[in-house]
Amino acid sequence: MSKSAKTGLLVQAHGLGKSYPKVFHRSDRLRALLRLLAGRREVDATTVLHDINLEVWRGQSVGLIGENGAGKSTLLKLISGVLTPSAGNVKVHGRIGALLELGAGFHPEYSGRENIAMSAALYGLSSDEIRQRLPEIIDFADIGHYIDEPVKHYSSGMVVRLGFAVVAATRPDLLITDEVLAVGDESFQKKCVRWIEEYLESGGTLLLVSHSMYHIQKLCKHAIWLKGGVISAQGDVFDVTQAYLSYHERKNTTTAPQRAVVEAQGMEFHLLDVWLNDESHEMPLLLEHGDELRIRTRVHSRDGRVPVVMLGIVRADSTPVYGVSSDMDGAEVTLQSPGVYMAEVHFPALFLLPGGYTVRMHALDTEGVRLFDTIERGLTIRGNSRELGMVRLPHRWIAPGVLPNAADHGAGTAP
Amino acid sequence: MRALSLALNFTRREIRNRYLGSFSGGLWALLQPLMQLAVYSFVFVYIFKAGPIFKAGAQNAVATGFVPFLVMGLWPWIAFSEAITRSTTVLPENAGLIGKVALPREVLVIASVGASLTLHLLGFIAICIAMALWGTPIKLIMLPLALLVYLQMALLALGLGFLFSALQVFVRDLGQVLTQLMMLWQFTSPIFYPREILPEPYRDWMGFNPFTYYPEQMRALLLGSESIASGACLAALIVALAVLALGIVVFRRLDSHFEDFL
Repeated sequence: MSKSAKTGLLVQAHGLGKSYPKVFHRSDRLRALLRLLAGRREVDATTVLHDINLEVWRGQSVGLIGENGAGKSTLLKLISGVLTPSAGNVKVHGRIGALLELGAGFHPEYSGRENIAMSAALYGLSSDEIRQRLPEIIDFADIGHYIDEPVKHYSSGMVVRLGFAVVAATRPDLLITDEVLAVGDESFQKKCVRWIEEYLESGGTLLLVSHSMYHIQKLCKHAIWLKGGVISAQGDVFDVTQAYLSYHERKNTTTAPQRAVVEAQGMEFHLLDVWLNDESHEMPLLLEHGDELRIRTRVHSRDGRVPVVMLGIVRADSTPVYGVSSDMDGAEVTLQSPGVYMAEVHFPALFLLPGGYTVRMHALDTEGVRLFDTIERGLTIRGNSRELGMVRLPHRWIAPGVLPNAADHGAGTAP
Repeated sequence: MRALSLALNFTRREIRNRYLGSFSGGLWALLQPLMQLAVYSFVFVYIFKAGPIFKAGAQNAVATGFVPFLVMGLWPWIAFSEAITRSTTVLPENAGLIGKVALPREVLVIASVGASLTLHLLGFIAICIAMALWGTPIKLIMLPLALLVYLQMALLALGLGFLFSALQVFVRDLGQVLTQLMMLWQFTSPIFYPREILPEPYRDWMGFNPFTYYPEQMRALLLGSESIASGACLAALIVALAVLALGIVVFRRLDSHFEDFL
């Protein structure tokens, strides 16, 4: 192991990009060939990754998240040297162990034992080292007599077991795995997670792609969110995964109906605007768990009648959390100027759990029966809580023999 | 260093690969040229009655009989042409490896060429020894020198392997075209006939065929036919090295784009 591998920077990517040429016709291939032989770059290309700047330090554990096609696997392949970047560069100081695709590097005709030797050689082990570690690898894979059967007869779980066992035995400086763990069964997944945890404790470095936020949060301290080939967010694993999840929750709901302003203006009641904490722009409002939330809205009444204002908070996937209207609470909607009414609601401490939410304001008629207009605003709650659900309910833990008010958690939301 | 040990590993795997599951195992490597030898000998000697013609035209070259004469040309050619045709398609065949495992791609070509040349070298040595035991005056003592010539041929084959395998990624028809071209090349090389029986202008033109040197040199070394001028030896070496250099340059230039077009 070289000195640079012992300390500091393991992976350094600068302006890293990858694009694939667009090939539609047979003649495109020939043209591409001539262009490349002349030493020129491809012009007509689909960009998969664009301008990625990345540093991974020894001992870091980084989760890579993003939608299908965001470029996660491509990034891993660029780092592990399987693909060549079309722009920028990436330097790796140390031995990489990469589990990129199911059964990559295995020959289906050969037995597990022979494939271990071959793929360990691909990872740069000498034949002596391979012979030494063979029992350890076979033991870790734990696939019984299948080890002497051709790999083509393996189940996909067995292939992963074998692949992980080989990578584990190479003791890489940087472990790269791409969603392959999901194929293994429960007990093997646990085994892998335990191995990775030990590996991280002993100073190993991890780059993990997974769609399981559980695995990401359990194994990684940092996270990078790739979106459409660029880094959308990076930093603490909780911040990034929450931003990612709330993005998904929001995406799953049918895109918020665009308010047809002209149409709304003809209605008996229509909403003029909504402020969240004095912000009226369309961007989601960012709050810390437990912050105050003030909602203010103005309603135009065509006939001058008093409207009923209703508000609802729903999770980004449209699961309702809480809803209330001015007439339920007997609250007053005040006349501000002729035909324009105003209502304001305060939540002194909003104990929504971290995630994405939507605030919906509705304008109803005076009787509170017919709904005329709706405006939606995004709301993102940040925090490091690992509580489950949507909202923290006031609660306390009672230790037997201790007075009930000794350990008070949460807050009683005042009515 | 890693690339070298990988290349060795892959060559071993390639050799086993070709005969894994085949009924005759490695024996086929020897049988296939033997059968060709039998067919060509039969056709040329008994049907075309070519023996006397060859002898009349080139007393020296065919002095030891037609079969040893043919062996010296046929074995290197089979090794050479198999190395080239097999290595040409090696990249698409290993597409599964190229997009998934970090691996210097040169290794695949080296392994393919290496496997073909190694297998047929063993066959060549075996048949030389067999013929010597049979009583043919073969100078076995010259085998190490013949091995050097064979190595030089390996450089030429490797160069063409690099070149064609890289081009094949972009131009898929190359494999098919190549099969036909190799046949043409086979019959325009002095494999089945000595150069001397050609009419005068063609005889000299054959010197431009980069493969001409190898059967002639093998015959000169092992059968004791007319020795090759040192200028021709040097030219052959330069051609082999130049082709290898060209192959490597083209391969390197296209290397980073293989995965885009496979």
